[in-house]
Amino acid sequence: MARFLAIANRKGGVGKSTIAVMLAHAAAAWGKKRVLVLDLDTQCNASLMLVGGEGWDKARRAGLTIADYFFDRFEKVAEDESHYTIQNVGDVAHPKNAAGRLALLPGSLMLEDVQGELYLRQAKRGVDPDTVADEVRNRMKRLMKHFGMDYDYVILDCPPGLSFAALAAIDLADQVVVPFRPDFVSQFALDRVALLIERVENADQLEDIRFADRRYACLPNYVTNKGRERMLIDQIALDHPLLEARVPLLDSVARAFDWDDTKKTMAEKYGDALPHLRKLHDEIFSGATWLAKTG
Amino acid sequence: MARKSRPLTGAAKTAYLKRVVRAEADIDAAAAERLTSRLNAEIASLSLRNADDEALAEAAAMAQIETASAHAEPVPADMATATDTATPVQQPQTAAAPATDSETFDPYSPNVVVVIRTRGRDATLAALSEIREVANLKLLAREQQLGIASDLASPDEIRLAIVAAAERRIANRRAAAS
Repeated sequence: MARFLAIANRKGGVGKSTIAVMLAHAAAAWGKKRVLVLDLDTQCNASLMLVGGEGWDKARRAGLTIADYFFDRFEKVAEDESHYTIQNVGDVAHPKNAAGRLALLPGSLMLEDVQGELYLRQAKRGVDPDTVADEVRNRMKRLMKHFGMDYDYVILDCPPGLSFAALAAIDLADQVVVPFRPDFVSQFALDRVALLIERVENADQLEDIRFADRRYACLPNYVTNKGRERMLIDQIALDHPLLEARVPLLDSVARAFDWDDTKKTMAEKYGDALPHLRKLHDEIFSGATWLAKTG
Repeated sequence: MARKSRPLTGAAKTAYLKRVVRAEADIDAAAAERLTSRLNAEIASLSLRNADDEALAEAAAMAQIETASAHAEPVPADMATATDTATPVQQPQTAAAPATDSETFDPYSPNVVVVIRTRGRDATLAALSEIREVANLKLLAREQQLGIASDLASPDEIRLAIVAAAERRIANRRAAAS
């Protein structure tokens, strides 16, 4: 069964999709793993990074997106779900027959509408709203879990906010990476998402959970190395486990996600971001790692 | 993947040495810096055994980063940095002796919120007492976003106001997470 890694933060604009795609490329290319990205964000940025606009549009028109998958399979017995995924995505070259590969279940602009539709459908049965919400979330969780049989890692690119899909993904995840921008507002966002991930209600209860026992770790992203950022990161480290890796604000990261179907090496694609990605990859995936720590 | 041996010189050599030394968890940041400087001064070039293309590309990329960060804001030795990857960031840094000379004053040291939470109010006031200039105390308050009244004039008043503002910040954040 795959390890499920969610990339989540209730706050938007922190680089969730970028980190999800970077980790997916790294695990497939360096770790030789079978990796699936589930794009749960209605912005569909991870999909656009991995298959481009035309590839994503083709999947959408064929009814092969995450929203279609949830809608089609919500009440059906599980069947083969593999035809919803696109294989060998991304623009990092893999030798033929190489062990690692990268697949995508594309995102959908309609995912929020579909979640509403599924909720209303369940609610018509006359059950109380909380129970209906639990049912929708749990069914989505089970549907995502089905993909675990065919991959080593399933990376869940979560949307900002608290949709059913986001909650289901966080609930399903073995581990959660929480990217954040080192600014004042992010502190509040981290505090809140931590409660959600650890299933506690307040800061006192969170404090009772040792860092080593927490399911999540925070990742400073878009780091410019200014004094104020270092100060905030030190403050955040009092309350939340931090990865040692940092992802700096680099043009090379931004450029890496201009869609281009030319296959490249990791060094060509990520340029001077490569050592940072290597460190992040090693910290998360290699050896007796953080991701292997629980479960 | 092609294996080759290639000499590393200049920034690539420096970056490689830094990476290797910093990867040793038993060596603290200051010692790592000294060791890297000495090795860098005494070694003209390195020839890596079994370096693959990816490793060489990483060394070259790291060299670019090191060169770029040489032009960035100076980094106090006691604080974690984006490229100082060996710093154990889960152990927040607390109070180093703050500089008192205006030209070298670091307005982020001591990290007031961190010192209050880890060592308490008195320790924070003691750390702040090493900053004697009013202008520097006000600069620290501004940069750490600790709101103090603008008409405060004595260093003692400003220090107390800074601590009170940090306590409010801590309470504020805690309230929002409940």
